[in-house]
Amino acid sequence: MTGFNVSSGPLKYDTEFAREIYSLENGHHIKKCMQCGMCEVSCATRKEMDYSPRKMFLLLRTGQREEFFKSNTMWMCSTCLMCKVRCPRGVPIVDVMHDLKCYAISKGYTERAQAAFYQSFWKEIWSRGKQFEGGLMARYYLKRGWKDIRKDAFRMKDMGLTMLKHGRMPLMPPKSVKGLKDVQKLVEVAKAQLQKGADR
Amino acid sequence: MKYSFYPGCSMEATAVPYLKSFEAVAHALGIELKEIPDWNCCGATVASGVIGDYPAQVMTSRNLALAEPHGADIVVPCSSCYMNLAITNRKFKEDGHFRQMADEALASVGMKYGGSLNVRQIIDVMVNDVGLDTIKSKVKKPLTGLRVAGYVGCQTPRVFPWEFDDPEQPVFFDKIIEALGATPVKFPVKARCCGSSHSVAQPEITADSCYNIITSAQDDQAHLIAAVCPMCQLNLDAYQDLVKERHKLKTSMPVLFFTQLMAIAMDLPPDAWALKHNIVSPFTALAKFGVGK
Repeated sequence: MTGFNVSSGPLKYDTEFAREIYSLENGHHIKKCMQCGMCEVSCATRKEMDYSPRKMFLLLRTGQREEFFKSNTMWMCSTCLMCKVRCPRGVPIVDVMHDLKCYAISKGYTERAQAAFYQSFWKEIWSRGKQFEGGLMARYYLKRGWKDIRKDAFRMKDMGLTMLKHGRMPLMPPKSVKGLKDVQKLVEVAKAQLQKGADR
Repeated sequence: MKYSFYPGCSMEATAVPYLKSFEAVAHALGIELKEIPDWNCCGATVASGVIGDYPAQVMTSRNLALAEPHGADIVVPCSSCYMNLAITNRKFKEDGHFRQMADEALASVGMKYGGSLNVRQIIDVMVNDVGLDTIKSKVKKPLTGLRVAGYVGCQTPRVFPWEFDDPEQPVFFDKIIEALGATPVKFPVKARCCGSSHSVAQPEITADSCYNIITSAQDDQAHLIAAVCPMCQLNLDAYQDLVKERHKLKTSMPVLFFTQLMAIAMDLPPDAWALKHNIVSPFTALAKFGVGK
């Protein structure tokens, strides 16, 4: 034993939590992980993560609910797909990360900056069918509040002005998608289908 | 050569120079592009993390349904758009259960997708449809002596590994650079991550990733970096000041879309180069090819 932070007390497994995670869209893949650590050495943002994907999967299997909600692992994933192409067990790790983000948001764990970014980005798509940087940033900073605005103001202002000067920051949003109602309905229908499948 | 064209949100905003140069280059190469009418966002790398993979894919499939009547394969320049469209398309073709569910969803808005199209990455189209010989034959001003670090980025080669290129050390992009008369440098980080959308919530991650990429290009004595993906180009170009400040980096590295380089080598009018949009000035690196402001 090399770690002093491991208690000798019995480890309590929360199998109910593990089962809930397995029931997510790609959750069952977690069972396939053989703990080899290939994802860990392939990950572009491993040093930013408190738990590597491998460790995160072990946490989930043992049902460590609190540790999961405290961790930043899924929010650090940049979807670069390196782990997905290398995983010897064929676990689509990136897709599992999507589920974990989704799950955290649905349970109200949205205090991380990345969660605010994800939600703002999605609101943009939902409201006009396309992405508009100006709208995204406005929504993001409204969510993050005054402290973040002050922290980032200088840095972001300079960059914004430079991009404006080079004609790469439109001030007006693009025209909304004409079939926006269809886009929204498609998402609603798909979510309902997914829910129905999960309830079965 | 006819294609349906999915520009994606960034080509209308932060990646304007990509759109301008690609359209001009495509025209000169005899590629006929028809933009998918009323296309919507592909969901990027974000939608799946808020609404789930399947709903995001159903949303993306609207674009496939809209493109199908035109009957031509879809060409996609952005790596993230490519990932979402190509994976969704593949699921329509190969995953019966997915197809049944997605058909049902599409029918609810009176749409249908028969799965008859292919989704093609822009590099794939350039190498396998246009062909390197054709590109070479259109080059009027070879970029001889220009050392280029070809940055392919992450998703482009890894969505379907080995289908059109090596997922970790891709080669096709370098072949295009070579066809323009330039010299592709070794650049081992060519398919590593640029930090992607961390640029908003945690720009330090983007700055660190970009630092690795820029210094690798510098180590190989590259004059500039050529990019395929709008997000990579934006991070490397617009965040370069932050990279320099954070890592005490002195020299700059211009970052161009590869279609901008093609437009220059093919001697298209300066409008097609669209260089005024580049934030790190590329003019010194390109001076000997008659490129000025």
